[in-house]
Amino acid sequence: MENSTDDYKIQSFDPDSQILLKTALKDPSSVNLEKVCSIIVDQSLKDVVFSKEAGRICYTIVQAEAKQTGGNIFRKHLLNRLQQEFNKREETRTSSLQEWVCYVTFICNIFDYLKVNNMPMVALVHPVYDCLMRLAHPDALTNEEEVDCLVLQLHRIGEQLEKANGQRMDELFFLLRDGFLLQEGLTSMTRLLLLEILEFRAGGWVLSSTAHKYYYSELAD
Amino acid sequence: MSHRSKGSRSDAHSLETDHSGPSRWSHCRKRGIDGNLRANSDDDADDRGKGHAHSDSRHSSFTTPESAGPVSRCGRPSDWGSQVEDEEMRRDLHRDTQRYRRRILAAEVTHRERKTSSGSSGSCDSREGDNIETDEAMLLRRQKQINYGKNTLAYDRYIKEVPKHMRQPGVHPKTPNKFRKYSRRSWDQQIKLWKVKLHAWDPPAEGCQKGAQEASLNDELDELDLGDIMDIELDFPALTESQNAPLRVHNSSVQDQDCGGTPVKVQKTEPPEEADMA
Repeated sequence: MENSTDDYKIQSFDPDSQILLKTALKDPSSVNLEKVCSIIVDQSLKDVVFSKEAGRICYTIVQAEAKQTGGNIFRKHLLNRLQQEFNKREETRTSSLQEWVCYVTFICNIFDYLKVNNMPMVALVHPVYDCLMRLAHPDALTNEEEVDCLVLQLHRIGEQLEKANGQRMDELFFLLRDGFLLQEGLTSMTRLLLLEILEFRAGGWVLSSTAHKYYYSELAD
Repeated sequence: MSHRSKGSRSDAHSLETDHSGPSRWSHCRKRGIDGNLRANSDDDADDRGKGHAHSDSRHSSFTTPESAGPVSRCGRPSDWGSQVEDEEMRRDLHRDTQRYRRRILAAEVTHRERKTSSGSSGSCDSREGDNIETDEAMLLRRQKQINYGKNTLAYDRYIKEVPKHMRQPGVHPKTPNKFRKYSRRSWDQQIKLWKVKLHAWDPPAEGCQKGAQEASLNDELDELDLGDIMDIELDFPALTESQNAPLRVHNSSVQDQDCGGTPVKVQKTEPPEEADMA
C-alpha cells in the first residue's frame, strides 16, 4: 500500500493538525494519541468525504503504534470515543443530520479497516447494525441523505456484517423490504436505491451484470 | 448502556412475530398507511435498551467456540476499547494454542518414529499432549501475567541483548509455558521468579525507589516454598543460584554490553546500593 500522506486526505485539516497526524503516522509514540484520535473523530463527524476514508489513516496509526511499542492506546481511545458518540446518536441525529450520517459512515469505515487478527471486531458488530437499522426506519427512509448512506455502507461492509451476524442482517432487510413495498412518500430515487441493495444482497453481495447495467447505465454518460 | 443487548432474544422474537403469518401484511400495511411503522419499531428499540443479552441468539459464526465460557475474571468490560482488547487476547490465545498443539504433535511423531525404529515401545508417548492446559480463563489469566512481565524495559533489553540461541536454561529467564498444567501456586511462583530474573536487565538505576522495589522482591524470594521449587525444577534448574545471588547486575549491564547474556554477567553481583539484604 502506498505510504504517501496525501492518500490519507488530511489536506482539510489545519496546518498544526496536519503536522500532528503526519507525526502520528510515522512515530506514534512521540505524540499524544488521545489528541490525534479526537482530531480524527471530530473531522470525521463534520466532513463527509473524510469520514468515508478515515478508517485508512486510523488503520495505519494502529499498525504503526503496534509495531513501535506493541501498544494500542490509539485504538482504545478511538473505540471509546466511537462508543460515546454511539450513545448519543439519537441526539446527534436530531441536532444535525449530516453529523449523524458522518458518524455512521465513520463507524462503518472503522469496522471495515480495523481488524483483530484479520477478523472484524466483534464489539462493533451490534453497534454498526444498530446504526444501519436506524437508517432503515421509516422516518429515515424519507430522507435521501440517510438512504444514500445506508446503501453505501451495505455495499461496503454488508457481506462482512452478514457473516458476523446473519440474523440481524435478516432483520435489517425485513425493514428494507417493508420500506420499499409499503412506505408511502418515498422518492423514486430512494426506491431505486432500496431495490438495488435488495438485489445486491440477494445476488450474494454482487450485482449481476444485467442489474448493473440497469442501475448504472445512465451514470456512464 | 449495553449495546450488546441489541440482539436479544425477545427482540428477535418480537420481530419474528411481526413478520410471520398473514398478520404480517395487514400489520405492515396498516403501519404504512398510518405512516407510523416507527411506533412499532420504537418498541423494539426500547425493548433492546433494557440490557438483557442472550448470546444464544447470535449467529453461530459470531459465537466462536473459544468465547463460549467465562472469559475473564473481571467480567465483560463495558467499553469498546477493552472489549476489543479482550477479543484480541482470546484470538491470539486461540492461535497460540493451535500452534502449540501442532508443535507437540510434530514432536510426538518424531519421538514415536525414533522409538519404533529403535524397537522399544513407547509407554509415555502422548504425555505432553495430555498435559495441555485448555481452560481458557486460566490461559488468559496466565497470558496477562506474562504480558505484564514482557511489557517492561527490562524485557526489551533482555531480548535485545541476549539472542534466543544464546539463552541458557537456568541462567537466563525463560517465559513460563502457559500451556502446561501447573498448580496455581506453582504457576504464580514461576511467574514471580521469571520476573525477578528479568529485573537483572532493568535499565540502570535512576534512584533509590528502585532499591525499595527490589527489596520487596527479595522478600518474596525469601518466602519461596520448597514444594514449589521441586515442582518447577525442570524449568528453573538454577533456582537456588538465583536465590543465593540476588540479581544485581543492572549497573554493570551497561558497561559490558557486548558480552551481555553470558552466564558470568547474570551471576555477577554488585554490592547492593542499600543494605536491604540481611
